[in-house]
Parts: sequence; C-alpha cells; structure tokens
Amino acid sequence: MKMKQSFLKSVFFITFSAIPFLLAAQGGVTGNVTEASEGLPLPGVNVVVKGTMTGTTTDFDGNFDINVGSFPATLVFSSLGYANTEVRVTGVTNLNVSMEESATGLEEVVVTGLASSVKRENLANAVATVSADELVGTTSQSTVDGALYGKIPGVNITSTSGAPGGGFALRLRGISSINGNNQPLIIVDGVYYNNVEIPSGLRFASGANRGNEENSGNRLADLDPNDIQNIEVLKGSSAAAIYGQRGNAGVVIITTKRGKTGKTKISFSQDVGMNKIANRLGIRPWTADKVETVFNAAERAKFEATIAENGELYDFEDIIYGDTGFITETRLSATGGNDKTKFYLGGSYRDEGGIIKNTGFDRFSLRTNIDHRISDVFDFTSTTSYSRSNASRSFTGNENDGGLSYGYTLAFTRPWVNLFPDANGNYPVNPNYSGNPIFVRDKALNDDSNDRLVQGITLNTNILNTDKDRIKIVTSGGLDYLANQTYVYVPETHQAQVQPGPGGFISVGKNNFTQLNTQLIGVWNREAMEGDLDLTTQVGTAYLYQKSNLVNSRGSLLAAGQTSVDQSVNQVIDQFRSEEKDFGYFGQVEGNYKDQIIATVGYRVDKSTRNGDPNKFYGFPKASLALNMANFDFWTMESVSQLKLRAAYGETGSPANYGSTFTSLGANNIGGNIGQSVVGSKGDALVKPETASELEFGFDVGIFNNKLSLEATYYDKKVKDLILTRALPSSSGFTQETTNLGDLKNSGVELALKAFVFDNENFKWNSAVQWYRNRSEVTRLEVPAFPQPGAGFGLGLGTFFIQEGQSATQLVGNLNLDGTGTKPTKVGDVEPDFQMAWSNNFTFFRQLDFSFLFQWKNGGENLNLSTYLSDLGQVTPDLDTPEGQARLASTANAVRFVEPAGYLRLREAAIHYSLSQNTVENLFGSTVEGVKFGLSGKNLFTITDYSSYDPEVSVNGGSGLSTGIEVGPFPSARQFFFSLNVNF
Amino acid sequence: MAFMIPLVSFMASCTFDEVIDPNGPSVDGVLKNASKGQLNELVVGIESTSRNGMGTEALANGTMARELYLFNAEPRYTGDMLGKDGLTLDNNSFYSTGSWNGNYRCIKNVSLLLEAVTNTDAVTEAEMNGYLGFAKTMMAEELIQILKSYGKARLDVSDPDNLGPIVEFDEGMARVRSLLDEGQQHLSNAGNSFVFNLSTGFDGFDTPATFSEFNRALAGVAAVYAGEGEAALTALSNSYFDLTGDLEIGPKHIFGLGGGDQSNPVFRVPSTVDKPNNGDQIIVHNTWLADAENGDTRVAEKTALRPNPTTQDDLSGTHEALLYESDTSPIDFLRNEELILVYAEANILANNLQDAEDALNVIRNSASLPDYTGAQTVEALTTELLKQRRYSLWAENHRMFDLRRYGLSNTLPIDRAGDQVFNIMPIPLPENN
Repeated sequence: MKMKQSFLKSVFFITFSAIPFLLAAQGGVTGNVTEASEGLPLPGVNVVVKGTMTGTTTDFDGNFDINVGSFPATLVFSSLGYANTEVRVTGVTNLNVSMEESATGLEEVVVTGLASSVKRENLANAVATVSADELVGTTSQSTVDGALYGKIPGVNITSTSGAPGGGFALRLRGISSINGNNQPLIIVDGVYYNNVEIPSGLRFASGANRGNEENSGNRLADLDPNDIQNIEVLKGSSAAAIYGQRGNAGVVIITTKRGKTGKTKISFSQDVGMNKIANRLGIRPWTADKVETVFNAAERAKFEATIAENGELYDFEDIIYGDTGFITETRLSATGGNDKTKFYLGGSYRDEGGIIKNTGFDRFSLRTNIDHRISDVFDFTSTTSYSRSNASRSFTGNENDGGLSYGYTLAFTRPWVNLFPDANGNYPVNPNYSGNPIFVRDKALNDDSNDRLVQGITLNTNILNTDKDRIKIVTSGGLDYLANQTYVYVPETHQAQVQPGPGGFISVGKNNFTQLNTQLIGVWNREAMEGDLDLTTQVGTAYLYQKSNLVNSRGSLLAAGQTSVDQSVNQVIDQFRSEEKDFGYFGQVEGNYKDQIIATVGYRVDKSTRNGDPNKFYGFPKASLALNMANFDFWTMESVSQLKLRAAYGETGSPANYGSTFTSLGANNIGGNIGQSVVGSKGDALVKPETASELEFGFDVGIFNNKLSLEATYYDKKVKDLILTRALPSSSGFTQETTNLGDLKNSGVELALKAFVFDNENFKWNSAVQWYRNRSEVTRLEVPAFPQPGAGFGLGLGTFFIQEGQSATQLVGNLNLDGTGTKPTKVGDVEPDFQMAWSNNFTFFRQLDFSFLFQWKNGGENLNLSTYLSDLGQVTPDLDTPEGQARLASTANAVRFVEPAGYLRLREAAIHYSLSQNTVENLFGSTVEGVKFGLSGKNLFTITDYSSYDPEVSVNGGSGLSTGIEVGPFPSARQFFFSLNVNF
Repeated sequence: MAFMIPLVSFMASCTFDEVIDPNGPSVDGVLKNASKGQLNELVVGIESTSRNGMGTEALANGTMARELYLFNAEPRYTGDMLGKDGLTLDNNSFYSTGSWNGNYRCIKNVSLLLEAVTNTDAVTEAEMNGYLGFAKTMMAEELIQILKSYGKARLDVSDPDNLGPIVEFDEGMARVRSLLDEGQQHLSNAGNSFVFNLSTGFDGFDTPATFSEFNRALAGVAAVYAGEGEAALTALSNSYFDLTGDLEIGPKHIFGLGGGDQSNPVFRVPSTVDKPNNGDQIIVHNTWLADAENGDTRVAEKTALRPNPTTQDDLSGTHEALLYESDTSPIDFLRNEELILVYAEANILANNLQDAEDALNVIRNSASLPDYTGAQTVEALTTELLKQRRYSLWAENHRMFDLRRYGLSNTLPIDRAGDQVFNIMPIPLPENN
C-alpha cells in the first residue's frame, strides 16, 4: 500500500505541476539525477521549485526539464528511500544531481490510515519499518517472522520449533490477551493474511494433550520473504486504531515488491547452505561401575557388551539430531514498466533439509504485481501470489506414551542399546521406552502441504482534482485461500502401536480457509491557508469474512504396510467449521501545518459475529500530535536537524475466539448408538470484545544532518475486558467458561539509535542499536487467581498463573518455600528484563560489504521439563556433577525446573562482494549489470546459561501466552549460506 | 476485481443474523420440547460418559493404595501419588481432576435429561418414568464413584450458576440412597420396556424390571458403605445377587475404538519375550503378590510374570497387569462377585457371622482356596473380607476406599524412604473458588 501511495503522488504531481509549468516560461533548468552508490539513473524523482507549486518528475533515464519562474531559486529533489537534496540555481543551467540513500528513512512514507500515509518525519507514532535489505539483505531467510529478530524495537520473537519452516510467536509490546490471539494482524498488500497454526491430529498417536502441542508451524511461512519490499509494524493500539477490533495485538503491514518504470531488470539469485544443530547437550560420561550403581548388573553387562563390540557408546543425540540439512534457494525476478503499467514478477523455490533426517521444508512461490494507470481518473494495483509449501516435521514436543517424540525417547534411551535395524530391516524394540527413535525417524511421517492463493486489488478513482482539493475513491479487496493438508503416519510395526496396541495410526487432515476483505474509502485532500495547512480526510467502510472447514480422518489398526486411512479398522472423523464476519465504518482527519504541527483524529466502529451481540458496534477512537521543533522558524541550532515531540492515543479491540458464545453438545457414542453429551466448555452469549487503549509519547532527535538519530518512546497500553478461560467448578458439568473477566496493562520503553559513523567513497559504516523493555500487570481479575489452562502442566510442575497485581507471564508452582504451607508461588517470568539488538554494516570501496546483527535478551525464565525427563531416564549429561546430583535428589517441582533463559546471540552475519563495473563488463559484456556473492550465517553463536538446546522454546506453539515452557523440542539449527546474485 | 462488486453493495446494508454453532446442537435447544430422539441421545450420552474417569479411578487410586504402579511417561504416578520426598497431592493435576470432571460430566447429562424429559410433551407418563428411573440410578452410580475417591461430593449441581455446597460422605451417601429409591419408584411405574436403547453392556438389564435389579444392587452397595447391614440385605434380595450364580453376571461398561467412543483405559499391551512392554505398563505391587495365599488362582488370572523385571524411579516389579484381554474388553459396573462380598459385609454388619463366612467361602472356593479357617468374629471376618475384596477386586478402585473406610490406610507399605500414604483425592481447585 505504501508503494501505491508514492506512485499516486507522482501521478498527482505530474497532473498538477504540468499546468502551471506550461503557463510560465521564464527559464528552463535541465539535468540528470543518479543514485549515489552505483551511479545508476533515477527515474520518478520529484523535482520542485522550493516555495512554489512548480514541479516535475524525472523520466526513465533520470532526465528532467523544469521551468523556473524567477532566479535565484532552490530545486528540491525527493524520492522514496533517498535523502532530500536541495540545489540552488541562479540561472538557466544543466545539473547533474546525485541522490544519497536516505540516511534515516525520514523521507519514507508510513501508512497511518487505511488509505493515507505520512512521511516518517511527521509521524506521531514509533512505527518500525523493516526494508527488504534489512529483512533478507544479510542472509537467506526461510520465513518472514523468523527474519525479524533484532529489527523491530518492542517485539519479542520466540521460535516455537527448530523444524525447518519454523513456528514463531511474535509479540508486539507484550501480550495483549490471555486466552485469545496474541499474534499480530498481518496485512499483505491490503489482504488480511491468515497466520493460523493448523494441528495435524498426531496427538491421537502421541498422546499429546492438545493441538498446540503438535509442533505445527504458523502459516506466515507461505510468504516468501524475498518478495517483500518493506514491513511496517504498528506495535500498539495508538498506531493500529484504524484497524479497529482486529488490531489489539498490533498490525504487521507487508508490502511486496512493485515494478519500477524504466528498463526491465532481471535478477537471479542462488543460495546454497546448510542446517546444523546449534547446540549439543552431549552424553553422560558412563563407566561400567557407574552403570551398575545407577541401574543394575544386567545393564552393566549390556554396557560392557556394547563397548566390547563397538568400542564406544551410541550417541543418540548425534544419531537423531546430527544430520546436515542442505538448503538451496533459487530466485528469479523481473521488474519494469512504462508510465502506464509497471510490473513485478517473482518466482522462487526454497528447499531446506532439517537436522533430523527426513525432515524439511520447501516452498515454491510465484508472484505477479501489476500497477496500471487506466486514465487520469482510474488506476489500479493487482497483487497475485500462489505458493505451495510442504513440510516434514517428524515428532517432537510433548507426548504421553506415544513413543514418538524424540525429546522423550532420547531422555530414556540408554546409550548402550543398539536400535539400528538388522540386515533384514527389522528395528529392535527399545527396552527403555515405548519407541525406537531410529524407527520413528525412518518410518513415521508428520507432513503437511499448503496451497495458497492470495489476491489483492485496489482501484483508485480520482473524482476531483483542483488546485486545492483532490478527492478519490479507493476500493480495495483481498482474497486469501489456503488449502492445507496434513498427513501423519505411524506404521503398525512401531513399538507403541504393535498389536494388541492400536495397530498403527494414520491421520489425514483436509483443511480449507477462505478470507475475504473489502474496503471502500473516500479520501479528500485539501490545501488550506494558502498551502500551509494540508488536510487529509477519509471515511470508509470495511468488511471481513472468514470461513474455515477442518476435516480430520484418522484410522488405527492398519493393514500391513498400507498408508491410506481407509486401510484401517478403527476410523474416526472430526469436523470443525467456522464462519465469521466483521463490519465497520471509519473516519479520520489528518492536518499538517507546514511540517511543523501534524495532528490526526479518527474513529472507527466495528461489529463482529464473534461477539455476543453480532450487531452491536464498538467504537475505537484515535488522536495524535507531532511537533517538528526543528521546522519552526525560531529553530536556530543547525546541528540538530530534527527534534520531534510526539504523542498518540488510540484504541483497538479483539473479538472473542470463534465459538465463545456457544454452549453446545458434542457427539459421542457407545455400542453403535449416537449420543450427545455436554462438552465441558460453557459459552457466554453476551461476551464482549477485548479492548485496548494505548497512550504513547516520545521524541525523535536527529543531529548532524540526521547522521545520528535517536527515537525514544514510552507507551502505556491497557487491555480491558480480557476474555479468559477460567476453570469452573466441574461439578457443574462444565470444566471451563470463556468470558470477560479481567484487565491488564503493558508499559514499556523503546529506544532506537542509528548512526552513520563513516560515509565516504571508500568506507561506510552504519550502526544501529535498539533497546526495549516491557512490563505487564494483570490489573483486574474478577475471579480468584488460576493456572491458565493449556499453558503449562499444572501447579505441580509449573504453569502460567493469572493473578491480580502480578505479571501476566509469571511462572508459578505449588511450593512451600517459607515453610508456611504449600501454595502457588512465583518462580519466574518469561518476560525478559530487556532486549537489545546491535546491527552493523560496513562497506569497503563500494564492493565489499560486511554486516552482523547481535541480539541480546536479558532476563526472563523458562520452565525446562526436558531435563526433568532425562533426569528420570538418568541420561542427563551433568548427572555426575554435584549440581546434577543435587538436582536429581531435589523434589520435582517448579523451582527445580525454572531456569534463566536470557541469551546473547549472533543472529546474522555476512560478508558480500560485488564485482566492479569494469570487471562485470570485461567478463560478461553489457548483458550483465551486476554480480554479487558472499557468505553468511544465521544463529552463529549463542551465549546463555540455559541448560537445554535453546532458550527460545514453546511446547504450546505460538498463539497463546505459553512460550517459554520446554518439553522435548526440535533443537534449533545454525545456518550457513553461500549466495550469488546476478542482475541483468 | 469482479468479486468485490456484490460485497460493495452488501456493505451498504449490513445486518448479521443470529449466530448458530454449525458444529453441534445447543444445550438450550434440548431443554424445551425435546423429541424422543433427542432424549435418547442424552441417554446414550449418559451411558457413554459413565465411563469417564475410570482409568484414573483404577490407576491413580490403585497406585495410592499400593495395588500397582503405573510406569509410563507421567512422573506423577511414581511421585505425587506415592508422596515421594515430601510431594503432596496437587488439587489441580490430572489425577485429582480427572475422575471428578468425568463423573460430573455424566451427572450433568443426567441433569439435562431430567430437565428435558419434564419439559416435553413427546413422552407418555410411563416412558417418562423410564427415563427418570434410568437417570437417577445413573446419577447415584456416579456419586458413589465420587464419594469413594474424594470422600465428599457436591449434590445440587443442576444450575451451574448456583451450585449447592460440597457435603461430607454421610450426607452424600444418604443422597445416593434416596436417589436410588426414587429411581426404583420410577422404574416400577415405567411399564414393560424402555423407549430408549442401552448398549449390549446392559444385556439382561435393559427393561424397567431388570434395570431395577441393577438399581437395587447399587442400593445394597450404598447401604453397606453407609454401614447399614440389614438395609443392604433387603436391597440385595431384589437385585441379581446370587450366592450360587455366575460371578461375572452384572451390567458392564463396553468399549470401542470408533469416533466418539472410548477404549478400555485399564488395558495395557502385554509383554512377550521378544517384545517386553517397557513403555506404558501397569506393574503389580510386590506386596499384592507376596501377601496372596498359596494357590490363589486370582493372582495368575489378573497378572502375568514379565519377561524382565522393571524399575522406574527406584520402584520395581516383576509382574504386570493382565486384567483385560484387549482395549475393547468390557469393565464391570458391579458383578455378582462384588455383590457376594457386599452380602458378606452386610452380614458382618448385621452380625450374621455364619452367613458372612459362607459367602466368603464362595469367593475363596472360586479362587481355588479352601474354606476359611479363622475365627468367626466380626474383627477376623472383616479382615478376611478385606483380603478377599483385595484379590477379587484388584485394580478396580476399591482398595483405597476399603482401607480408608476401615481406618487401615496406615497399614500400607512404604516402598521408598520418604514416601507417604494418601488415601483420599483432594477436591479439585476450581471447586474451592
């Protein structure tokens, strides 16, 4: 949407500026504009005579021709992504202007309304923007959310699975819901993008407690990060208010790449890389005596036999997690266009193997984006993408006796047991646990595939264009169709399945999701007070429709070797359907007085079928004010080029989860008769949406022509009418009810410092530091404190615990620390004390780039139940140390499991080399424009006190508040890449 | 672009219809003017959900009563339940919430049926009595399970927003008995047949007259638990209790593996020499084997020697459970074997000691044991009764309650230094809120 706006601006500029410039003919200035780094011509640059309405834009070759009313005059050159450049001209001349890439991004426009945008310089909110270069410029990225680490102040990202294709939990400014959605709303080119996490039904084989323990990825993975032009993150309610009742968790606005007028450019890229386990825990140093002490003489004999036969023990960690996963990614894109039509075509294929054999992720993605100007009245933008992504995630995470999850099997399997198949392919039975991990790795499947079509379209109708007033109608719509298939197969020969056990297991899921959104907006721009005051007014309506149909067919007791669900005796089918609709009206007025005072007021009302009363409207106001002190006439400090004071207030909402209003019966049966039973959850037919209000204020300072800039923000976000699932006295027949029961608040500070330390021909150094923290507190709770269902394993082992006056993310267990009796006692909090990121980019001689990004999470705790399992199995590597023995002897409670989960990580590092123009010409002639290649890596090293694989972990997926609880995760990987990029 | 046109026109006038759950019937929908089909679905729901919580009742209560260990991935079976190193029972863990939730889910279905059947014109008076007699009997059956595990129960639960108090055991058992008596009254006015179908688990007990025998069998059990021997004997005389009959007779919970069905929760895959089941197995407590009389055939019927001894969390065992053949084998509600033991107990309470001894001999002989030779005193016969119950009803959720009601829980063995004996489940946390 952002590119759309700049395109429009150009159109307006051409249309408007042409008239005065045809009338006046006092003197012509011609010239050529190039971009500074490579000297390439810059088309589409706005050229304006300062203080007048006279302007033009450069053509495809960067040439311009402008008539100047009277000399001397100052020409202002502006273009998205480049610093404004002013040139003083005293007479008719020919200029060569070189534009530097914007040092601070102050000139970029940021979306603030549903059909309007403002320059970052005038923005009243701390909206984070991540450019394509920041996103994927350093190293190869497989998912968008996984590429955002350390790039947005105020975000907390947790990897919920190390499996290729991810699983990420994104939290903007803390959690905004206890029980509802905490993942931000994602808008891709105006299309509401489904980021669902789809369970596969493998819990019915593994015994995991619920769908969110099945280690599924979230479907933002279907979007190719390389297609993205930029990402804007509306972190809080004050910025996201115009998104109304879907904006509570923040909004991530993704704009994909658009065509550029001029010569058609072809870009080819190839990445080759690998996944390796990032952190090994190792193997307990066994001796024969120790085996006998810990176990018994029979185990000692087995140990000695294995040593005698192999000379060493089996390192199951290496056998299972030690694979090298190869990664290849091939991308081809073409952009080009003329003054009527611009296009971007992109195609990519990524194939990524995991650190566990037979795991992986691949994604094929195609995109066509077209901008077309039909006439001065009509223009439209169409974005179309199709992707197919497949993942094989194998079995990790929590289970109960399934013998599938490696976290469990490895925790109990003793390293002198040979589990490899014999010459006939028969896998031995694991004497220590209910499954043989090598069999599971080789024979069992947990796969998914996703076909996805996303179409966005925007039609602009310019109905009035005068000197002072411009009115347009923006009609836009989006369609997101996702067809997901899951497939889980556990052969009948799997140890835990062997008859008279269940006899093998197949689960086939066919899940369809359709989302449709439309908007109709009128936008009126008015220049008042002789051009000193710019007013932008918009009113509109928005409609959102979402429908899902999830069908899961499962079978057990399989025919030998058969892999279709109908080749089974005991078959179960589940179906879940949902349909929801939202509708809203909104209006907003923005006023800009000479770039000095910028104020916005707006209001949105929304209703939703997910609320108790589907026709009741809820209101979401917003207001903001920015003062650009350095633009006032009294400002005289030349060195301080920007000082902006800003404040913003806004409200957003989040409707109840689908189904919260229903109290329904569920089908069950016995002896072939169909029956109905209460299902345990009681709905609230009057449930209201959760609503958040946020006050944000801060200041931005730029000094030395913005070579050094600081953005400082404080926010205070209050969420009221939290929709909670509380446990009911189950003697009522219902174990839980979902209703509005509390309030919470988040407050925090975000600091972002950017510096252009060196900036000359032969050496450039950019550096950026971010620091941010968030604190939450449950401020009202209408019910007694309770352990959050599905976020932990009860007060015995430790759980999230919702308690008035306490952090919403505290970890609590039943303990008797002070000797006054056992009671729920806080042992930690998953919220970090603060997070920090430090990125650096060095360029030598315009050819050699070196960059790295450190990310530091300070504080925060996890509950590590993986170590508890391996302690039970006696295989934890440190069990022979005094600490290990002390832990083994200590009571199995939350104090034992809680661990500090802070870390410092080299998230990304890269070195790239671009061949010089001369070399390229000598080697390839004029067909090739540029060649760049390099080496890069991700998660290169981590410093942490956390004892398991990775302090970033979540056994309950990414959507709730359950991050930070660990049970047998898929270990994280370290990635290395060689990349080649050729532009034609 | 064309797909936007109908939506744009739609947006001008937009009123959303009332939202209906596409995935299941609503609770309110069955409470008024229910059809016979809807009532019968609730009956099936009640029978189906009467299986809820049975796994926890057998295995957690059995662990606490040192009948067995459950060696699986769940560490609380060898930790909390045995009071390891100061651990106590948690009132918000699966073992303390599982059977309570399950039993009250079934009771909720009973409450719905009771309300629905009195708010519809679809049934005749006799048919209504059939529903009511079935419902009240099943509610009593569930309340007995709750009282055995928790020693307390909440009785008035039909209005979720206005629950009655949690009452002590005696008051709870009094309600059980009055429910059973009301149920019997309804059944006696219910005609010759029910208008609903019960599963094959109720073969032989699926008419008002024969279901009434099940009602009376439960009444006998409840009377004994209330300490009233004579009342128990009266009730048993109207039940299918038969001192000389097949011990296996009685209604059963049946199991299946299809969707919405449940499998036998106490079945575990038996070990073979090539494939010992070391993952998820019910291990027999050594004292149950050691304390058995020589030649007691129940030991070999209910358990099997494992190919290898097994150890977990410093606990070990040589035998595993062999109570059920498969994961669809039925589990008894109340079989004649238990009724004979209830009869013996009732006679001890009523001081008919010879009748008690005769009944105990029926059980002993059935296990290939000779007649009882001990003293014919209340104390000695009670000891013998508890022993026969221990072996006849092993791992069927009796031992913990038997020892508790006779004040003998402190006689249980301690397997590891630091272990403790718990003989009652804590009331789930949400009930205290």
